Amino acid sequence: MTESAEPTTTYEQAREELAEVVRKLEAGGLTLEESLALWERGEALAELCQHWLDRARERLSVAAPQNQPE
Amino acid sequence: MTGPTSPEAPWPVRTVARKIAEYIGRLGEIWVEGQVAQLSRRGGAATVFLTLRDAAADLSVPVTCARDVADRPGLELTEGARIIVRARPDYYIARGSFSLRATEIRAVGLGELLARIERIRRLLAAEGLFDAARKRPLPFAPAVVGVVTGRDSAAERDVVVTARRRWPAIRFEIHHCLVQGPSAAASVIEGLHRLDRDPTVEVIVVARGGGSVEDLLPFSDEGLVRAIAACRTPVVTAVGHETDTTLVDHVADVRAATPTDAAHRIVPEIGEQRRLVEGLRASARHLLVTRLEQQTRWLESVRSRPVLATPERLLHGREEDVTALRGRARRTLTHRVESAERDLEHARARVAALSPAATLQRGYAVVQRADGSLVRHPDAVADGERLSVRVAGGPLPVRVDHSGNQEEDGP
Repeated sequence: MTESAEPTTTYEQAREELAEVVRKLEAGGLTLEESLALWERGEALAELCQHWLDRARERLSVAAPQNQPE
Repeated sequence: MTGPTSPEAPWPVRTVARKIAEYIGRLGEIWVEGQVAQLSRRGGAATVFLTLRDAAADLSVPVTCARDVADRPGLELTEGARIIVRARPDYYIARGSFSLRATEIRAVGLGELLARIERIRRLLAAEGLFDAARKRPLPFAPAVVGVVTGRDSAAERDVVVTARRRWPAIRFEIHHCLVQGPSAAASVIEGLHRLDRDPTVEVIVVARGGGSVEDLLPFSDEGLVRAIAACRTPVVTAVGHETDTTLVDHVADVRAATPTDAAHRIVPEIGEQRRLVEGLRASARHLLVTRLEQQTRWLESVRSRPVLATPERLLHGREEDVTALRGRARRTLTHRVESAERDLEHARARVAALSPAATLQRGYAVVQRADGSLVRHPDAVADGERLSVRVAGGPLPVRVDHSGNQEEDGP
């Protein structure tokens, strides 16, 4: 379950799909196998979202004001 | 007069001198206006020499006058003064020199000066030199600032110190010039030209401290105004005090009230700019951080949804289903076993009811021969035969004795 599985997926795409996965899971009416597959997909998407957010946070901290040359 | 001259018949110098003197003498008396450029009163000499300079053009004529004309009470004849002279053009034949021989000198009054300035102003305004469309914007933070100002002047210090404080990286190209007197305008023009030619100079400041209207006169000089208009580099003027208006102020791209104000106009305040930039950076950063936090919270909330956070729940319902089914199966089976057991009990009871044991209990006995066969008749056994009598309490071994039996069986 790594973000490299979807290297071209943007945060927004991952987020949208994750919301859809959760919606389907919460709606129920799936076979066990389908549920598991969806859950795994959801985990992967959540990791991917997390990855993008962590990256964003890193970039923000790199550009922190104290790093600016005077 | 005499005929044309030729190499064979030249004029002697005296003839030429006399003729020129006669010609000039015919010009008669005139009124001339100009500015005193130089003034010399030699000791007790009866004649005063002065140089009268044109107000706009760079040319002058020598003027001579009797001492009492120059020293007339009420006339302050000093260098730089504007004067009107009643004079007669005069050719001094002994030296071949020309001068205006003044018989009367009047100072140009303040009102007259201002009126004159106003006339020049109208003239230049009509030419469009003061049009707003001609004004050039100043560079935002010029690297090099040209300054035309008096040597060691407060104006220079005000501009330099203030501008450096506001923008420490600023560099100056300073041209010291005369800021007063008849040569001031030309001196300022020279400075302007020099700085305008320097490609590194991004803006030129013409600065001079306050002074009287006469002191500031060079800064209403038509030539200087035209020189500023002709500059390729934007020009800021800071001449005199706030209330003084000279013509250069009209033509300048920016008119500063004072030299200090000029410094404010030419460079931004570095602290202010830093705060501005910092403010913008902080805002941008805040926006991003907020956005990121929102998204992080959203992601956390989604990840904490039961369907994602506890995937075991996917199995829960199903496990319960299985458990329930197993339970049902087990209960069904148990039920059957129990009912079979009850059936067995009943059967057992029935068997018990049919058993001879109960009969034995009532006192009956079963007699069996050694081989186990039942004895149903007395004759079936012989005397002395061993038999087993089964009573409720258990088997009882006995021996047969018919004799007793017969007596008892008797009548």
